[in-house]
Amino acid sequence: MSVLEMENIKKSFGSKVVLKDITLKVEKGEVVSIIGPSGSGKSTLLRCATFLEHIDNGEISYIGKKVVTKGTEGAVYPPKKELQQACSNFGLVFQNFNLFPHFSVMKNITDAPIVIQKRNKDEVYREARELLKKVGIGDKENSYPCELSGGQQQRVAIARALALRPAMLYFDEPTSALDPEITAEILRVLKSLAAEKMTMVIVTHEIDFARAVSDRVVFMDGGMVIEEGKPEDVIDNPENERTKMFLKKLHV
Amino acid sequence: MDKASISKKFLYLFVMAVFAGFIFMGNTCQAKQEFIVGFDAEFPPYGYMDENGDYTGFDLDLAEEVCKRNGWTLVKRPISWNTKDSELESGAISCIWNGFTMNGREGQYTWSTPYVDNSQVVITKSGSGIKELKDLSGRILAVQTDSSALAALEGEDATDENKALAESLKELQQVEDYNSAFMNLESGMVDAIAMDIGVAAYQLSSKSDKFIMLDEKLSSEEYGIGFKLGNTELRDKVQLALLGMLQDGTFDRIVNKWGLEDSACLSFEDTTYIDGCKVPVPDSNSGDNTGNKQEGTSNVKSSAPKNVEMSIAQIVKQLSTGLAATVGIFLLTLLFSMPLGLAVAAARMSKYKIPQWIARIYISILRGTPLMLQLIVVFFAPYYVFKISTPYAYRFYAVIIGFSLNYSAYFAEIYRSGIQSIPQGQREAAQIMGYNRGQAFFRIIFPQMVKRVLPPVTNEVITLVKDTSLAFALSYSEMFTIAKQVAAAQKSLVPLFVAGVFYYIFNFIVALLMERIEKRLDYYK
Repeated sequence: MSVLEMENIKKSFGSKVVLKDITLKVEKGEVVSIIGPSGSGKSTLLRCATFLEHIDNGEISYIGKKVVTKGTEGAVYPPKKELQQACSNFGLVFQNFNLFPHFSVMKNITDAPIVIQKRNKDEVYREARELLKKVGIGDKENSYPCELSGGQQQRVAIARALALRPAMLYFDEPTSALDPEITAEILRVLKSLAAEKMTMVIVTHEIDFARAVSDRVVFMDGGMVIEEGKPEDVIDNPENERTKMFLKKLHV
Repeated sequence: MDKASISKKFLYLFVMAVFAGFIFMGNTCQAKQEFIVGFDAEFPPYGYMDENGDYTGFDLDLAEEVCKRNGWTLVKRPISWNTKDSELESGAISCIWNGFTMNGREGQYTWSTPYVDNSQVVITKSGSGIKELKDLSGRILAVQTDSSALAALEGEDATDENKALAESLKELQQVEDYNSAFMNLESGMVDAIAMDIGVAAYQLSSKSDKFIMLDEKLSSEEYGIGFKLGNTELRDKVQLALLGMLQDGTFDRIVNKWGLEDSACLSFEDTTYIDGCKVPVPDSNSGDNTGNKQEGTSNVKSSAPKNVEMSIAQIVKQLSTGLAATVGIFLLTLLFSMPLGLAVAAARMSKYKIPQWIARIYISILRGTPLMLQLIVVFFAPYYVFKISTPYAYRFYAVIIGFSLNYSAYFAEIYRSGIQSIPQGQREAAQIMGYNRGQAFFRIIFPQMVKRVLPPVTNEVITLVKDTSLAFALSYSEMFTIAKQVAAAQKSLVPLFVAGVFYYIFNFIVALLMERIEKRLDYYK
């Protein structure tokens, strides 16, 4: 079953067309990397999938349930409540994490499950501690985000997203704000999530990272999907000229 | 330490402030009919504040006796001279009884018969070279705003000689009160003061070596009690009581007490008022004990209250009485203006045009006009615009409403800048995690905003401490108003400096508190 289905997504900012006609499906347990040069529209696609941007037209479904539908006058969005409901299907780890600075690590993770999902407090806390241990910062629950390194903040962001029990996770440029040596650690965290069959969509421009983590790679350029497939096909034996050019530039 | 404990402390503060507010609003009940005398509390010996902090003076003694005879409760209400007509018109005071010159104002009020003959004289520094009125040519002359001296020089009914004199002056400087007039004179900022002879005599009694009074007078005029035009009923009651007092000697006794023998002029010979109505005649049988009363005169005279020098401790004690009012204005203004500012900021940032523009106009007007004017508008608008007479307690409400509206505009803009400075990512993260707009604001945005706006809010709060003194515009007796009254009675600047020290200490504490709050929020960046 598809966790995410995006069909014929169109998006412009003013007269600039950013997404031309994108269709993307993500199956349960799949790890998909979206790669491409800057300005290719990959970040916009992620923002549209997470409802941070409204698409001009197209269709977005989560777990078989249509959320945004096509209309003659453009995309049709559901009422606020329903859209908010749809948000519970996914988590997003922002490029700069966007942790809440006034909350401790623990509160960053537990606030939404307790306040929004109205779950049992003890259970949420127990789960949060497990999550922190899993991402490797079990000793930081009482710290504040400003006291943590970039890598540690990212782990908190991942734990925070997981605490809401989403069906899938989005990562926006997970390696861009980190030192290269920390990238390997984040890769380990992502791989362990993948091993647990967590569905993930990762926007990245780091090819090695994409190759290492994903089941499928989607190459985007100029607001379109140019090529997609297994990482060894797309990255190592690209068919399309634009993909080749992009990869060649990276290797210079 | 977590955020919840801080919020709890804030809540605690709020609750305490509300209670304080209720206590301040409390005393509003009334039993007997009130006779509210409006007077300028910086006008000794007619009405001023004595060394014990009580309002006293010749006119107030007369009023006290009139009330006793009519079974009224006397309310002594110090007013700002600029707003005296609005106060009378709106019924906030029953009469103006305060060395109030009739000449030139004949048709504007319903007058009693004259009770003091008061001339306008000129005071100058000893050895200034000014010996007669024509020597004032090219000099600076000070007069009180809207005083009879000003009217005598520049009013519609001013004599040609006086108008010419006014023309020849280098400048006619208007001052708010006589205390500052004398300070101006003493420091050489002005060359002479034109003022009522009674007040001049009082001032000279302690400074006769420094100042002299010119023999030549600007004008001679009379004091009466001014009632709202057409209110002859109240006027007649007061007049009757006054004549009764003249008959049994009480009037003379009070005259002697204040040393005004040379100018008191209440007389049975005035049988008609200046508006042509007949003066009522009191029953003659009450005059039997005239002789007895007269005997007491000399005793009372010896205890005449003149120029008792106050110690700093006494001044501090007196100003402390006004401090409660100052703190009350301060706390209640914060209590109302801070949440109101948040509402205004919300409207200002609304995506809808109408609330956005209402908030813009609100902020623009409240920031763009003087707070003093806003206070006057809030106080008098119910009467002048809606024809509602306001209860006694409204004076205090008006102060709080005026201050709260004004400060909410400033707070709104501070909040707005604070909210807008928080990265969009915080809102996006909250949105994706399922917080609705309200939850996102109060759990994520607001606490971060509080930290960011603390320094500018501290600025505003400190300004507010000092701005409370503007309540004098509505004659609300807070600390600075009292300081000015004491200064006038004492003919000294010391009370004002003491007030300054009070403000400084107050602000020092405020700054300290705000710093502590800032420190407590220092656990994150």
